[in-house]
Amino acid sequence: MILFLQRCNKKNVTRCMPALRFSLLILWLSLFSPTAVAQKPACECFVKGVVKDRHTGQPIVGATVLIVGQSTGVFTDQNGRYELRNLCPGNYTLECRIIGYSPFQQKIDLTAGHEENFNLLEQEVHLKDVEITAHRTDAPSSQPLTTLSGADLDKTRGQTLGESLKGVTGVTTLQTGSSIAKPVIHGLHSNRVLIMNNGIRQEGQQWGSEHAPEIDPFIATRISVVKGAAGVRYGSDAIGGVILVEPEELPIDKPITGELNAVGFSNGRQGVLSGTVQGGLNFVKGFGWRAQGTIKRGGNIRTPNYYLDNTGISENNFSLAAGYRHKGLGIDVFYSRFDTQIGIFSGSHIGSVTDLLNVIKNGEPFVKSGFSYAINRPNQNATHELLKAETHYHFNDGNRLQWTIARQYNNRNEFDLHRPRNDSIAALNHPELTFKLTSLTNDVVWDHKPIAGKISGQVGVSTLYQYNLMSGRPLIPNFNQFNIGLFWIERYVTSKWELEAGLRYDYRTLKTYRIVNREKIADHFDFSNFSGTAGATRNFSERFSARVNVGTAWRAPNVSELFSDGVHHGAAAYEKGDATLQPEKALNSIASVKYATPKWSVEVGGYYNYIFDFIYLKPQPEPILTIRGAFPYFKYTQTDASFKGIDVSGSWEFVKRTTISSKLTYLRVYDERNDGYLVMIPPNRLDNALKYQLADRGKWKDGFISIGNLLVAEQKRVPANSDFLPPPKAYSLWSLQAGASLKVSEKQQLEIGINVQNLFNTVYRDYLNHFRYYADDMGRNASLRLKWKFGA
Amino acid sequence: MKMNRKLNWMLLAAMTMAFVQCKDSGDDVEPDDENELITSVTLKFTEQGTSSVSTFSYKDADGDGGNAPTKFDTISLKPNTTYTLAIELLDESKSPVDDITKEVEEESDEHLFVYTPSPAALLTYTYGDKDKNNYPIGLTGSAKTGAAGNGTLKVQLRHQPGAKNGTPTPGSDDVNLDFQLKVK
Repeated sequence: MILFLQRCNKKNVTRCMPALRFSLLILWLSLFSPTAVAQKPACECFVKGVVKDRHTGQPIVGATVLIVGQSTGVFTDQNGRYELRNLCPGNYTLECRIIGYSPFQQKIDLTAGHEENFNLLEQEVHLKDVEITAHRTDAPSSQPLTTLSGADLDKTRGQTLGESLKGVTGVTTLQTGSSIAKPVIHGLHSNRVLIMNNGIRQEGQQWGSEHAPEIDPFIATRISVVKGAAGVRYGSDAIGGVILVEPEELPIDKPITGELNAVGFSNGRQGVLSGTVQGGLNFVKGFGWRAQGTIKRGGNIRTPNYYLDNTGISENNFSLAAGYRHKGLGIDVFYSRFDTQIGIFSGSHIGSVTDLLNVIKNGEPFVKSGFSYAINRPNQNATHELLKAETHYHFNDGNRLQWTIARQYNNRNEFDLHRPRNDSIAALNHPELTFKLTSLTNDVVWDHKPIAGKISGQVGVSTLYQYNLMSGRPLIPNFNQFNIGLFWIERYVTSKWELEAGLRYDYRTLKTYRIVNREKIADHFDFSNFSGTAGATRNFSERFSARVNVGTAWRAPNVSELFSDGVHHGAAAYEKGDATLQPEKALNSIASVKYATPKWSVEVGGYYNYIFDFIYLKPQPEPILTIRGAFPYFKYTQTDASFKGIDVSGSWEFVKRTTISSKLTYLRVYDERNDGYLVMIPPNRLDNALKYQLADRGKWKDGFISIGNLLVAEQKRVPANSDFLPPPKAYSLWSLQAGASLKVSEKQQLEIGINVQNLFNTVYRDYLNHFRYYADDMGRNASLRLKWKFGA
Repeated sequence: MKMNRKLNWMLLAAMTMAFVQCKDSGDDVEPDDENELITSVTLKFTEQGTSSVSTFSYKDADGDGGNAPTKFDTISLKPNTTYTLAIELLDESKSPVDDITKEVEEESDEHLFVYTPSPAALLTYTYGDKDKNNYPIGLTGSAKTGAAGNGTLKVQLRHQPGAKNGTPTPGSDDVNLDFQLKVK
């Protein structure tokens, strides 16, 4: 407990920053007791201050501050502030309490005015039926953070992780058809975007542009995007940004609750069913558990004019979690299994450049089909398992130690369209490519106790050990990789300023094994690097804030960039790695300002990301000759690239209940070393929506209707003659949404949502969809979403 | 003091975990033998009425990439002559060498060879074999040369599982080679 005692006549009111994650809707409740004050005009003393969480430094909203023995008390406001006025001089005992935290008492001798700040310690054992709103996110506070949770997240239910994030400013997707979507942050993707799944760095075969993250979004109740280089806290590779997939806190000692989600999509006749049950145990105190599962089935996707053959999807996922809390100790165990089978549009499997040119000339696929749920070759089956154990201990003096270990097993099987010609081998139906990646991670993080109540920080060490076993068509080698990272971050928080700085050192050693001319060849690589971050947030007023961050990050070349050597069927291109590639280093500066009133808000952010030794596929002047003909030849090469962009978002309630909102994503990328543009950069986009909030009627609440329009520009900044087909034309898509919730009974609630994407069945192709060469994008897709919550 | 002991214990356990997790992937390198490659294409032209055989090959022993093709012959034929044309496909990256011709023959209802001379007057190809659905295959056939001239002969093997209809359009290329063709 740290106290700040100040003379009462001092006027510098310690005001806390308007915490962005607390909405303005939280009520300012004051419980003055006028009777105790009115008769004594001489009593003009006051007590005021701020109540904060001791660990996170975040203000606590709605805490009670009262004078023991009197009927005088107030609640803290949205910034954690309180003020007790009209007190008589004298001795008082001040108590601050809120459920979920240990209450705290402080004796004060009041002569005039007094400032008393409380730093409350979170209770590990929460009382029954209490929702704790304080949430801890380790993300750097000076970088833009966008979180999808609650109703916003509900609207994306049933979609893949990549698709769910499409609505976030600055985020786009890299797609292979409609079922495989990878998130792109500020123009960067795959290995340059790190995904933290429940606190664990997701390790799959991320290098592949058609390898979507193997995560069930139903696990999460919050999905956050940290834009810009965040390598210091989360480790190397996070040059573009970080996606945090976070489940709800475990319901320690709470009664059993649950929810059931059912989503149906018209396109692909897809159905998704997901359920969660959670609670505590009556006979064990301090225990909580959760079980969750999802089933998804979908068939062939339809473009406005035809079906895409073999584009079905099947998913079976589940997760189990349990936790125990006792005093300062917390232990969590988590297991999840993600299992998917995805059909790849058969018209996209290309044997030679002639085939590709014929499809392009034809304007639509040669292979036509009707609707079917069957998944045939080519397809990919991926299983991802995560087993995680986390334990933490809050020391009484304010220190906190956290230790997390996890094992991930990623098993990916890819089946080519062509079976082997030899019947006996073909009958085995083996995948042509198998990757088995096992990753073991170990993290120890120490949060030191706040220094002078203003400086908080953490020191940590992370290790990763990983081995990859590969069989089938040679693509990437077997490898063993060990990584160790040490980091230190400090944060200084005052009412107006929030400053942070951090430093990290990483060392990686990589050994690869491959067969060349029937001989085993081993290669050894060592990489190491420092990265740093410094940032500031300034709160000018409750409404107006600005933040700036400068950070560095690095990324070692991955095995596919080092050793690729073969034809990429989806792109009809021959790709060759380079074992002499050096790590990429990024210098990222990002700044944003935000102004928000209850009626309107606007946020403008700009970034400049300079990447030294940016690794990309460079077209070679001469094609390479193979048995299947001559292929365009691409080599992994390095250059210096700059990424400049602006993200703007705003909303305005111009008539009561009617809100218009807009999001603009603008990006310019330049190859600084070769004075040219780079390929596969997302085009600029503008997203507008008009929403009408319905009045609550009886048991119906939170009803709304909204209409949206997405404008995507044509990508004109591409290198000349670098592609078989110029980037697609600009397109405009309309969408319609409606939703409401119905309180069925005290403990049961039903939420209903209707969503129509591509309302007018517009024919379009997207530059970042690999299928743009072969076929149009998805046509109209209407969906109905039901969510039933019980026991809550 | 008690806290320190707890802290030390946790750190020690964490450090131990970091080093006992190791397994080596180098012991499990699997050679690639599931898929056949085609590394060699040989065209055998037998002049009709004689036993004189001319063979022309394309060879890339290590498959796509790696070393460049070791052999890419120029086809040289007499003008206005009819030849019997047979084609042989091998996978020489295996030991013993895998005869892909035989496997194509076994799955002849999924394969079609396409021979396209350019300019077209240089050579006329006629299929000499049929699969079980009465569609041509092209493992054997006859080639009749025209007047003397230079050009190319495109040799394609179309893989058309479940889609073969006698035209080259369905499926994708297993082989796509442009041989230089000299008729003199």
